[in-house]
Amino acid sequence: MNNGTLLAVDNLSVHFFTEDGLAKAVQGVSFAIQEGKTFALVGESGCGKSVTALSIMRLVPDPPGKIVSGRMKFKDENILDLTEKQMRQIRGNQIAMIFQEPMTSLNPVFTVGDQIAEAIKLHQKKDSEQAWADSVEMLKGVGIGDAERRVYEYPHQMSGGMRQRVMIAMAVSCQPDLIIADEPTTALDVTIQAQILDLLDELQRQNGMSVLLITHDLGVVAERADDVAVMYASRIAEKAEAKSLFQNPLHPYTQGLLKSVPQLGFEGERLATIPGIVPDPLHFPSGCKFHPRCPVGGKDKRCQMVEPELREAQTGRHVACWYAPGYETKQEREEYESKYKQ
Amino acid sequence: MIIMAEKTAQQKSWGVSYGEMVRREFAKNKLNVVSLVLIIILFALAVFAPFLANDKPFMIRLDGKLIFPLFASLKASDYSILLAAAIGIWQLILIRRNRRNIEPSIRGHVLSRQLLINASILVAGSVLLYVFVPRRLDATGYRELISSGRASDAIFAPIPYGYARTELEVREQPPGKEHWLGTDDVGSDVLCRLIYGSRISLSVGFVAVGISSLVGIAIGSVLGYFGGKVDFIGMRFVEIMMAIPVFFLIITIVAYWERSLFNIMIIIGLTTWTGNARFIRAEFFKLRNQDFVQAAVSLGLPLRSILFRHMLPNGVAPVLVNATFGIAGAIFIEAALSFLGFGVAPPTPSWGQMLSLGVSTTGRFLWWLTLFPGVAIFLTVLAYNLVGEGLRDAIDPRLRKAA
Amino acid sequence: MIPTLLGITIMVFAISRIAPGDPFSIAMGPGGQLDAERFADFREQQKKLHGLDKPLPIQYLIWLKRVVTFNFGDSIKHHRPVIELIKERLPITLTLNLIAFVIIYTVSIPTGMLAAVRHKRFFDQFSSVIVFMLWSLPAMLVGQLLIGYFCGPAFVSWFPPAGLSSNQADTLPFFPWLTDRLWHLVLPVICLTYSGFAYLTKQVRAGMLESLRADYVRTARAKGLSNMTVIFRHAFRNSIIPVITIMATLLPAMLGGSVIIERIFSIPGMGMLAFEAVTTRDYNVVMAVATIAGLMNLVGLLFGDIAYAVADPRVSFESNV
Repeated sequence: MNNGTLLAVDNLSVHFFTEDGLAKAVQGVSFAIQEGKTFALVGESGCGKSVTALSIMRLVPDPPGKIVSGRMKFKDENILDLTEKQMRQIRGNQIAMIFQEPMTSLNPVFTVGDQIAEAIKLHQKKDSEQAWADSVEMLKGVGIGDAERRVYEYPHQMSGGMRQRVMIAMAVSCQPDLIIADEPTTALDVTIQAQILDLLDELQRQNGMSVLLITHDLGVVAERADDVAVMYASRIAEKAEAKSLFQNPLHPYTQGLLKSVPQLGFEGERLATIPGIVPDPLHFPSGCKFHPRCPVGGKDKRCQMVEPELREAQTGRHVACWYAPGYETKQEREEYESKYKQ
Repeated sequence: MIIMAEKTAQQKSWGVSYGEMVRREFAKNKLNVVSLVLIIILFALAVFAPFLANDKPFMIRLDGKLIFPLFASLKASDYSILLAAAIGIWQLILIRRNRRNIEPSIRGHVLSRQLLINASILVAGSVLLYVFVPRRLDATGYRELISSGRASDAIFAPIPYGYARTELEVREQPPGKEHWLGTDDVGSDVLCRLIYGSRISLSVGFVAVGISSLVGIAIGSVLGYFGGKVDFIGMRFVEIMMAIPVFFLIITIVAYWERSLFNIMIIIGLTTWTGNARFIRAEFFKLRNQDFVQAAVSLGLPLRSILFRHMLPNGVAPVLVNATFGIAGAIFIEAALSFLGFGVAPPTPSWGQMLSLGVSTTGRFLWWLTLFPGVAIFLTVLAYNLVGEGLRDAIDPRLRKAA
Repeated sequence: MIPTLLGITIMVFAISRIAPGDPFSIAMGPGGQLDAERFADFREQQKKLHGLDKPLPIQYLIWLKRVVTFNFGDSIKHHRPVIELIKERLPITLTLNLIAFVIIYTVSIPTGMLAAVRHKRFFDQFSSVIVFMLWSLPAMLVGQLLIGYFCGPAFVSWFPPAGLSSNQADTLPFFPWLTDRLWHLVLPVICLTYSGFAYLTKQVRAGMLESLRADYVRTARAKGLSNMTVIFRHAFRNSIIPVITIMATLLPAMLGGSVIIERIFSIPGMGMLAFEAVTTRDYNVVMAVATIAGLMNLVGLLFGDIAYAVADPRVSFESNV
């Protein structure tokens, strides 16, 4: 399509109107996913990454959540302008999603084959027999042995890893252009994790799909992602190509995250942590949301009062931090300091 | 020894206890609060019944002397009820004080001690009252005395009728100026019997549910904790009890034993405990494998301590909710039994029995004998059901929000 | 299953034997006027006759043997074999309850589903209030009010106040007879239905709400399925499971309620039989009714278990029996 961008999210904001107050779960989030590439959205629990993913599919539960502003261009169309009917044509067909908990994400009263065939019947207009035959093929394609028999099994008869494979089979069955994987391996054993991620890689190469990978595991990001965006408390803190991010993190949050990853064979002092906890979406701190925990800007008045927007500080690198290198020109910095620092 | 924590800034760091959270969540919904108020009003009616509806005046000048017949004729049971209400209010005040002054970790201990002390005071007091309060049967017709001129300056209760008074001339009267809600088939005032009837309904509700909860908790905790063979055999027994049609069993028992309030309370309690047992058993199964229980066991704590001090407070929530619904159910059953003639016998007032008089022997439809007791049952049951529902919602989604 | 059955019979038997007094003092009727000595002889005679002088376990086995062949002895009041009375009365009660049952299910399920789908909006709030009130209404109140206002001079006289058929019903040909029967059944069925309806609607609504919030519904939507498909195929299929098991307990509960309803409307069914038996201390009938009710309960529970195993693939049949 146009310069290889499959999905362009521009200034997305999602708010939740709960009985306890207004929770701004996602604010001003923008990123772009290229064709055939893997884009990782990283962050701790509650930072808004899952909500972002659900928004792309327009599956945010409507009371209490609402997409308040923004644009999402998928293949030249703004997703937010589509009718529900058009949206349904996209879901499962052009954009598919796999979820974190395979046990509860599969319907316990239908067989595995039934659930895969359902998507095929819906989007590819095939009849029952063909759809079931396709299901068997899909199961084989995700590496489930004895697929002809397994197709008649129920989710509770399968292990966690197998269920996730079924989810992937379901998602890939209609050859979507984009797969959104919301923490696909968090609920699985480490050894199975690697298998599932390899599987995703393989399918991606085979079908030329893009993958939006949502995770909190930096290791996974380092291995599999092409581009990364780090989210914190509803906003993007930093966005870059994976390699650059890991070599040279610009945002104090990213730096803190990377420092806190334990390294094999490294003997030394205590494991570094980021002090404090993630803020409650109902009561965000003022200014830069990270400032209460930030070693750099914790005491800085500007960090406390004014929220930095996401800017391209260096080529291909976006940050939202007043003190990230390249964020302000020297002149701007001097202006600020002379005005506010007595 | 109990160490009283100082009422300092320490309190702020105590955080919010489970009971607190449930209370707050419960109070958020106005409907729950209204139902609770309704229940309190019903309680007040039951406790103060003799002062609200009594055919003896508070005071009267008889032959020149000022006497107080109403107070003189109060029975031991009336005093016991007042004592119970007073102790109940005192306990609530104590709980409030506990929350403010005492550290959470010892609060439970303090509370159980207070409950024990207060309960013993209540029991001892009731026994003493029973022994020492004379049973005076005062059948004087005070109103006749007034009209005949021997007495004067009388202050009557708001509803100046006794619930056992029979005045056959005014039987089956519709509501009017004299009898605000009408009279029944022997001339007793309906409003008066309605108020006294609340005592029966509430006591049946509480005693029956008390028995049902205790039995259910006892059996359920043993089954849930030990599991294995004990559980297998025990569950067969529980299933047998569940399979028995409760109402038929109750009327079967009523057929063989005499009618009495006491019997009914016990029977309802002994036939409805299975639900509670299942809840506690399920909770104990879940709790048994949790670390804090294993820690208690490894410390060598005695069994009863583990079961009742550690596990039970964590698992008791569904039983509490069930208890509220159980009270509503017990009131229903008692009313049904009395309606059929298997419950309490007249002159003891019972809403169900009053309902059964709705169609007179001559076929007249005495709507006031149907409507008022029926609505009384309806409102009481409704209030308890609402509170139960509110409790259930207060306990449940809060857990979900935290997840 | 079998142990439960035995347990029920033991319990019924135990109650009949533990109770104070013996059947004869009372069976002699209010006019029993035998003096002390002759009464003692009479008692001994009767005891031997009825096998009451044997040890309890033997008595139980004898009784059990007879029960298995449905021989419940004779009714003291009616002087007929109890089993005959039951054969006459049971179908009536069963018909009444079955009609109510069908109505409850056909109305509750759509109502509950609609309330869940329109959660927190008008229909849900409105129906919840009504359902709650219905749940708390005592049948005696409703029954008597209905009779008072719809059957007599007080208001309107649309329905008959009592009985199953009008007096000359036997002489009518089939369809008018049927209509007459049904006309008589309207009010009792209403009384029997409304509380079961309230309970079931709440359960259906709760079950649907939980299903609709489940992850697999989110997956289904993510697959692009229409809202209708998601509700009727995915959510409903899951929420129906607890509703089916309720079926097992609903019928026995309604049987209990039958006692009151049949009394109010003077319908000669099992409930009425139980009531009369208890009032006149007709012990054979009382025991028989209790046992039969227990049996029906058991059948209901068994049916519920089977239905549950069929509906939920996670449950295997053997684990329940």
